[in-house]
Amino acid sequence: MKSIKTVTVIGANGTMGRNIAAIFASFGGARVYLISRTTKKSEEAKEKAFMSVRAECIREKMIPRDYSSLESCIFESELIFEACAEKWEVKCDIHLKIAEILRKGRTDGGIRRIVCSGTSGLSITKLSALYDERQRSWFFGMHFFNPPYQMTLCELISTKYANTELFLWLCEYAKSVLGRSVVKVKDSPAFLGNRIGFQFINEAIRMAEKFQYNGGIDYIDAILGPFTGRAMAPLVTANYVGLDVHKAITDNLYENTRDYAHSTFVVPQFVNRLIEKGNLGRKSGAGFYKTVVHDNGMKLHLVYDIQHGYYREIMKYVFPFAEEMVGALRVGDYAVAFQRLTANHSREAEICCELLLKYVVYGLKMVEFVGEGVHSADDAMAAGFNWCPPLAMIEAFGGIEVFEELCKERLESSVLKESGFGNLINHVEKSRYDYRRFIKAER
Amino acid sequence: MNTVYVLGGAQSDFERNWNKEGKNVIALLKEVMEDGLRHVKLTFSDIENLNKENRVACYVGNFIAENYIQQGHLGALLTEVHPAFYGVPSARYEAACASGSVALDAACTKIKSGDYDLTVVVGWELMKTVDGKTCGDILGRAAYYETEGRNVEFPFPKLFGKLAEETIQKYGIDEQRYMDDLAKIAVINYENGRRNPLAQTRKWFMCYEQASHRGTATNGLIGRKLGITDCSQVTDGAAVVFLASEKMVEELGLNKERVPVVKGYGHRNAPMLFHKKMADAAPSRYLLPWTRRAILDAYERAGLGAEDMDVFETHDCFTSSEYAAISAFGITEPGKEFEAVEDGRISFYGDRPVNPSGGLIGCGHPVGASGCRMFLDLYKQVSGNAGSYQVKRADGSIPQNGIMLNIGGTATTNFVFVVGRKLAGA
Repeated sequence: MKSIKTVTVIGANGTMGRNIAAIFASFGGARVYLISRTTKKSEEAKEKAFMSVRAECIREKMIPRDYSSLESCIFESELIFEACAEKWEVKCDIHLKIAEILRKGRTDGGIRRIVCSGTSGLSITKLSALYDERQRSWFFGMHFFNPPYQMTLCELISTKYANTELFLWLCEYAKSVLGRSVVKVKDSPAFLGNRIGFQFINEAIRMAEKFQYNGGIDYIDAILGPFTGRAMAPLVTANYVGLDVHKAITDNLYENTRDYAHSTFVVPQFVNRLIEKGNLGRKSGAGFYKTVVHDNGMKLHLVYDIQHGYYREIMKYVFPFAEEMVGALRVGDYAVAFQRLTANHSREAEICCELLLKYVVYGLKMVEFVGEGVHSADDAMAAGFNWCPPLAMIEAFGGIEVFEELCKERLESSVLKESGFGNLINHVEKSRYDYRRFIKAER
Repeated sequence: MNTVYVLGGAQSDFERNWNKEGKNVIALLKEVMEDGLRHVKLTFSDIENLNKENRVACYVGNFIAENYIQQGHLGALLTEVHPAFYGVPSARYEAACASGSVALDAACTKIKSGDYDLTVVVGWELMKTVDGKTCGDILGRAAYYETEGRNVEFPFPKLFGKLAEETIQKYGIDEQRYMDDLAKIAVINYENGRRNPLAQTRKWFMCYEQASHRGTATNGLIGRKLGITDCSQVTDGAAVVFLASEKMVEELGLNKERVPVVKGYGHRNAPMLFHKKMADAAPSRYLLPWTRRAILDAYERAGLGAEDMDVFETHDCFTSSEYAAISAFGITEPGKEFEAVEDGRISFYGDRPVNPSGGLIGCGHPVGASGCRMFLDLYKQVSGNAGSYQVKRADGSIPQNGIMLNIGGTATTNFVFVVGRKLAGA
């Protein structure tokens, strides 16, 4: 149908912009115009971008430009990808500019291009309304995850105005040419992966606040560590992506969605206070966690103590259930590990079990709301977060019967009722993912 | 001699880093064994029952776990995988990167002789426990360490870099053309790896431009003329294969005409030292005459020739070793390997597909596992079980015969198997 030979990436100096440019240039084999505020910034992006896919050969495929070249770049491209700051005003401004260029075209009558926004939270339908009717049908959401070379998830979002045939073509292009794990999702706040992922993370943060007298942040992370099916514990993850980014996504979900987990999207006050102080996480040197390097080179890993409001050394929690799980996982006894989890009735094991069950239920529910097909949440969580995906987690628990019984025993009846649990369970299929690789033998 | 039937087996996901997952060798072996048993529709209690009548034995292929994970006595270690292995005869076989093949060889022999009805062969290696340089040094023990390995950084890339130079010299081929052909070999293997859901590099980006430009920041020279893209990568992994006697196949209710069988094998050792190997090869038309001899032995034992082979799995530890294997297989005359590379004959859709799995470069090379992994891939191809990387013959049917070459050291140990179905047609 079409082929994408040239791409323009706008906002190419950002981490996502340049790494996505590298995906188009490498797997896509496209020439990519990098557009930033200054050509210098685009040049810097070019120098970093090829390293993200470990291939020098794409270097010369990337052409640094600034906004003064926007028009000619758009004319020459089959696809325009916008990766600007996640603010409505910024994105609105850029899309109006693109719309204007396309409307005028080279001659009268205008031209049409595939335009994609990489937004993680704004409404694609609202953005598409910035274009005239003709162009609007060629506007889509294309949501990559960080870092895109390692995280292959690509959520594709169509609108009611979209050209369906072109959308399906774009999905196929992203899948077979760019090598993405494509998930078609509805134009819903934060889409699928982030909605499930940030629900879990924020619920964990809320738990940290609730259990601040037991240690708070590091206490909850010790309960939900890599042995529960993820590379990083949830608050470590929030610290990694940035507390401001976490808050923006979670606030957006709180304000613009209504589901049974609505209250879990409220960001606790202590997080707001950390953000106000500029303690945004790893990128600003401190957040939930902080690493201090002494003069002698010794590194000290500290954690924010919610109760006292200062940083202290991370505690080495020893929970029998976690010790037993890790011990069993080390020798590949997955079933034993999960039996130890569910048979242990310490507060910590119960928190762990409850949050994992809720994660699966919420994931299945979001398939209904935002995804397409029961496997879409699995694709999103495996390829976008590197977490054990919901259907695979059911298998890790020992299968659907065990899972169903556990949910009925451990979850509040309101969750079961409002999620339509019975109906969710009826649609469960065998996961396409192997849970074993996600469940680490690490605390 | 009894016929050796191949029931199938399983491979671990070669993308996984078990050390990073915090899991040890027992976890690796449990997973692959459980997957393998499920594939062949057997259970641990079947193993237990067979063992009561002394009908089952295990064969472990591994190069050098003593150095990577401080573990020896690897045959007996299977008892930690499952109590069903208590009392089951089991030992470890070693021939560097051909360890998997020598384990398979022992397992085949015991079926042929009628000693056992089921033999379980598992090849494995955990290599991500050490840094790259240490890993290279450990692998140096596959050469004559004192002479070729000690105090050499990455000895093997350098030795296979020498092989590249010897190739150019022996056949008087244009260096640039040869190096570009090696890049094409790398690209084919990476492309094939992308189709294989268990390949180490399935998500990696590779293109001809990248592979043909060596000496850059992302494709540094590591073995004389060879760049990183010419090398297979270190990884963790295991592969298990189940071999059976006719009696066993009948008991399982399988159609004897359809279950793949081992049709032939070849095993020849070349001089250990690289320079002696080359001196020994000087009078031959082949760069690696003992490799060629092992392949001819396998063809002769199978009563077949290169023209009967529908699919090939070779030991592309480096692109230069795959290049030399092309003529050794008889795909081309020696010195004419470039024809098969440049005409695309060895690519996935070519008439002589080599490494549809991705090979060592694309699928990954956990050294002790590679022989079993190749053998398993031949089984998958000739039984129509290769899924997304199933090779088809020109008429659309699945392959009838396949051949594999697994080498240890610098093509010092050469091991070859021909696996196929008795009946033509799917």
